[in-house]
Amino acid sequence: MIFSRRWALLAAIGTVTLLGATGCSAPEESAPAASDGAAPSGSITVYNAQHEELTQAWADEFTAETGVTVTLRNGSDSELGNQLVQEGTASKADVFLTENSPAISLVDRAGLFAPVDDATLEQVPEQYRPSTGMWTGIAARSTVFAYNPSLISESELPASLLDLADPAWAGRWAASPSGADFQAIVSAFLELKGEEATRDWLAAMKENAVVYKGNSTVMKAINAGEIPGGVIYHYYWFGDQAGTGENSASTQMHYFKNQDPGAFVSVSGGGVLETSANPVAAQAFLAYITGKGGQEILKTGTSFEYPVSDSVDANPALVPLSELDAPVIDPSELNSTTVTDLMTEAGFI
Amino acid sequence: MIPAAPSTAHPAPDPSDTGRGAIGETDGTGPAGRTDAAVRVGKRPSPFIVAAAVTVSVLGLLPLGYVIVTGILTGWPTLSALVFRPRVGELLLNTIGLVVITVPLTAVIGVAAAWLVGRTSLPGHRVFAVLLATPLAVPAFVNSYGWVSAVPSLNGLWSGVLIATLSYFPLVYLPCAAALRRLDPTVEEAAESLGSGAWGVFFRVVLPQLRLPILGGALLVGLHLLSEYGAFAMIRFDTFTTAIVEQYRSTFNGPAANALAGVLVLLCLFLLIGESGARGRSRYARLGSGVARVTPRRSLGAFTPAGYLFLGGLFALAIGVPFWSVIRWLAQGGAGVWSEPVLVQSLLQTVGYGLVGAVVTCLLAFPIAFLAVRYPSRLSRGLESVNYLTSSLPGIVTALALVTISIRFVQPLYQTAVLVIVTYLLMFLPRALVNLRAGLAQVPVGLEEAARSLGKHPFAAFLGVTTRFFAPSALAAGALVFLGIVTELTATLLLAPSGTRTLAIQFWSKVNDINYVGAAPYALLMIVLSLPVTYLLFARSRLTSVS
Amino acid sequence: MTSAIELAGVNKSFGSTRILEDIALSVPEGSRTVVVGSSGSGKTTLLRLISGFELPDSGTITVLGRTVAGPGIAVAAHRRGIGFVAQDGALFPHLTVGQNIAFGLGPALRGGTRKQRARAVDELLEMVSLKADFAARRPDELSGGQQQRVALARALARQPRVMLLDEPFSALDAGLRAVTRDIVAETLERAGITTVLVTHDQAEAMSFAHQLAVLRDGNLCQVGPPREVYWRPVDLFTARFLGDAVVLPATISDGFAACALGRVAVAPTGLRGDACIMLRPEQIMVEHCETGGADAGTVASCTGQVEAVDFYGPEVQLAVRLFSGGAAASPSAADAGTLVHVRQHGTIGTIVGSRVSLTARGTATAFAARP
Repeated sequence: MIFSRRWALLAAIGTVTLLGATGCSAPEESAPAASDGAAPSGSITVYNAQHEELTQAWADEFTAETGVTVTLRNGSDSELGNQLVQEGTASKADVFLTENSPAISLVDRAGLFAPVDDATLEQVPEQYRPSTGMWTGIAARSTVFAYNPSLISESELPASLLDLADPAWAGRWAASPSGADFQAIVSAFLELKGEEATRDWLAAMKENAVVYKGNSTVMKAINAGEIPGGVIYHYYWFGDQAGTGENSASTQMHYFKNQDPGAFVSVSGGGVLETSANPVAAQAFLAYITGKGGQEILKTGTSFEYPVSDSVDANPALVPLSELDAPVIDPSELNSTTVTDLMTEAGFI
Repeated sequence: MIPAAPSTAHPAPDPSDTGRGAIGETDGTGPAGRTDAAVRVGKRPSPFIVAAAVTVSVLGLLPLGYVIVTGILTGWPTLSALVFRPRVGELLLNTIGLVVITVPLTAVIGVAAAWLVGRTSLPGHRVFAVLLATPLAVPAFVNSYGWVSAVPSLNGLWSGVLIATLSYFPLVYLPCAAALRRLDPTVEEAAESLGSGAWGVFFRVVLPQLRLPILGGALLVGLHLLSEYGAFAMIRFDTFTTAIVEQYRSTFNGPAANALAGVLVLLCLFLLIGESGARGRSRYARLGSGVARVTPRRSLGAFTPAGYLFLGGLFALAIGVPFWSVIRWLAQGGAGVWSEPVLVQSLLQTVGYGLVGAVVTCLLAFPIAFLAVRYPSRLSRGLESVNYLTSSLPGIVTALALVTISIRFVQPLYQTAVLVIVTYLLMFLPRALVNLRAGLAQVPVGLEEAARSLGKHPFAAFLGVTTRFFAPSALAAGALVFLGIVTELTATLLLAPSGTRTLAIQFWSKVNDINYVGAAPYALLMIVLSLPVTYLLFARSRLTSVS
Repeated sequence: MTSAIELAGVNKSFGSTRILEDIALSVPEGSRTVVVGSSGSGKTTLLRLISGFELPDSGTITVLGRTVAGPGIAVAAHRRGIGFVAQDGALFPHLTVGQNIAFGLGPALRGGTRKQRARAVDELLEMVSLKADFAARRPDELSGGQQQRVALARALARQPRVMLLDEPFSALDAGLRAVTRDIVAETLERAGITTVLVTHDQAEAMSFAHQLAVLRDGNLCQVGPPREVYWRPVDLFTARFLGDAVVLPATISDGFAACALGRVAVAPTGLRGDACIMLRPEQIMVEHCETGGADAGTVASCTGQVEAVDFYGPEVQLAVRLFSGGAAASPSAADAGTLVHVRQHGTIGTIVGSRVSLTARGTATAFAARP
């Protein structure tokens, strides 16, 4: 009889977990709100390529304010962008947030976005959103050259991103080319210098650069003295400095400025899917992120990304955006597909 | 990617029989699974069972079919441009280098460890016998995390070899240790009486008899090397699988990812065929009844310290380093890292997927196992092979296939828990299959017939008699699948419903943010969930070696 | 004849279990000695001590004049040059028959050409009456008897002067067993190899042995030629172990016993007074006696009644209840009613209830103790 009791126990465990798993795995989509004026309710699914911690902070705050449940699907820019294109009208996503603009342009070009509410667009200055109004900037980040002063003197620092193609830099700089961040930088390069120059520069980079996975890892390696310098985004450095500083204590940052491709300021985007089952809540979420509450989180939180709203200043620790002398690029012009092809051709991915 | 797990017997001399995840119990002592007593002659199986088995197997062909079909649709010009490029050469060199160096290394270490704990009088050999199985409870990507924490500069091929060897040597060690216990001691004595000394006996008699478990273990190591993502991504070592994941991150399921997947599938097939060729037609049946006597242990004499150094060093490197890192990060994080509410949710979700996946996989593996044991035929063997083949494919390939297929053709399943369970089913079916089959084969049909002659309905007879006999095997089958699911990363990342946070996903997300402190609790939980299963596997490998 | 193997004062225990006690055994060179004992008697351990797979706790073992085990001496098994054939042959499952045999070839031949080795293997196969084409087969394709013969050929390859066989025929079925045994005996005889075989099968033991050693609970009770041990066992245990025995109380004087079967010649002759005697069933002749009266002309006769008949084909076993106070002189009333099992040709038409007269032939063995 021991046997049958054991079976009963097994069956019980199985049943309970089956119920549990189905219960916690498939969030129910709520019915769309009846009219534009209705208060947001129900739940939304966000395809999130932004840093999970940042979006989670936005989501938590938004949920606290509106009661709307936010489910995140985390991934990288291109992955989620391409995924949305593949899913087409069948997508379960309501909102798409990116770190950089190429991926969101990709989805825009596929015609999958609904226009962003005018009220939302008004919260964002024109240079941080495409003229079509199909998506909007939500945050910004600047390209920097992080370096280890014990391995490289200030006078040796590259004046331009183009300098890194020089054989003198062979084995002396690092990047994370498989990441969307670096690919956005390449898309800016492509936009500014054209396809031939980009192909040549990538070929030189293949010779010169040491490849890491992730900007944090690049910074960590520079800090550890494994490599003199590397191309990353600014906020990795500030984030680490604000914490323990263990991965950045021995590093410095160099801003290229001069409208160099290396001074590229990348715009993170947000858009609402045309097929959203809950457009009211989705639009409300985007309005919240670009509004004062959402932008404040960029200023006060640990993300150290730049707010795009005029009404909120950047974290005082950061160099103000206006001083970075970034090249002027329409974010909606950045092309991710060509970049991916060029990167594949160069053998980075 | 699956820190695989040993399993019990899968004895058929079929090329694919050590499907990934099943440490096929290439036990070296011939087929224990299919006994004549269990075969039903002259009767036809129930059409429902055949239909179920065929359905599951056809499902199993989807990933391979996907790779072939997308290859054809992409067209040769595009495909060749994507395949014949320097990057693929680099990856090929890296991947082949990894396999060629690591596989022999794990074989040597696995056999040496099995011999030391099984055949020498080294004090503490019993303890080491268990300890050396424990690396299976540490997923390779957690091991890598432990090593990168301890030695941050690790990168490239040799670091990959180091971590892979330490993670995977038990795949050779366990089957070899089990086979060593099963070898007929009189055969070794015969060699001694013919003038062979200790080394002569080992190399001329013991080692050749371990050929099948070594080959089976080596095949598993090879397949794991081809499919592992996390462990190599963390040390910046590019293999086909890491490159496919990167392509996926850049293009979702673009043609380049699919082209790489095609090459990776070819590498897998190459391994399978290679192993089958090396195995040959031989099966080393134990002759005669043998003697119920344990082979006497040898004293290592002056080499005792060296023996300790080897076993202790192996354990320290394979388990000590990752554990020390996890504990160090945990200490650094203090109580704070445990207060994350996601932690509990993540644990429950992981256990839920593990249990449901294990039950479903066992249930669906049953018809195939039943046909294989009770109605052996060309059909049943074919169905089995299909499933071994699928599970040999890296999880990333299966996941890519199912993402695309579900988006295009079965959208209601897309991003649902059901699809995740189906993926687990395809990936881990052989783990269940080998165990269920071995268990079923041990049940004499005569007992069931006796029950029927006593007036029981055939189904009642089956439930009443057979299930009780093979319950332990079913439990082992479920445990193995559970272990696989708990530590699965890539397929879950691609396929899970939005908001899914298994332990592996959470761990990986933290590691990617260089939040090693935050990742530590997830690492610990995965190890803690895996340890009992690992012990169960160890205990079963001992059990079968006695019977 | 000098001894090829000499054991003196050999003791062996496993933990607290005493396996062998003070064993002394001498195996003459070129002869076949069979150690027979029931399972657990320690016979396999005895063989393993000689072969070197176990070491004695005390005592010495000498093989061909060289002490291989003794105080401070322990020659490893592979250096003893002793052939060994295990119970089920212990063929190497990963090698073919030919490779199995070649495994044992001496260094000279192992280094020789492929042809030389093949010829040596063929010769060895021929020695054990197997055809040369067996060399290419795998062990699991052979019958049990063939496996045993290959195992013997493999052991012979090293041209050992001493061969140990551990129950080599017990796994074979009856018909095969006799054939294989004869082939093995003949092969060893021709090669002049000193052989020790252990078995629990008495018939096999007696048929194979020049010298029989009976082992009981770790003690050698008797060593001698098979006939001597069979007909003149030193005690009742040995008597019963080697075959059926009819044991009767008797009074002995002047080399004759007076018992329920009358007057029977006994050995040893030295015994006197109350004792018991042992006869083999085949020593007792049965005749039908219609009248129930004894024939005064026979040496010893009495009458009993058949209580049971077991038919075995060529022979029958009769259970005969002796009459109390029958015609023959019965020394004591207590002997009356003794049940005696005797064997006769199957042709005898005895049925239950028949009255028979029993006659003992030959000499009985007398023991001092009463049964």
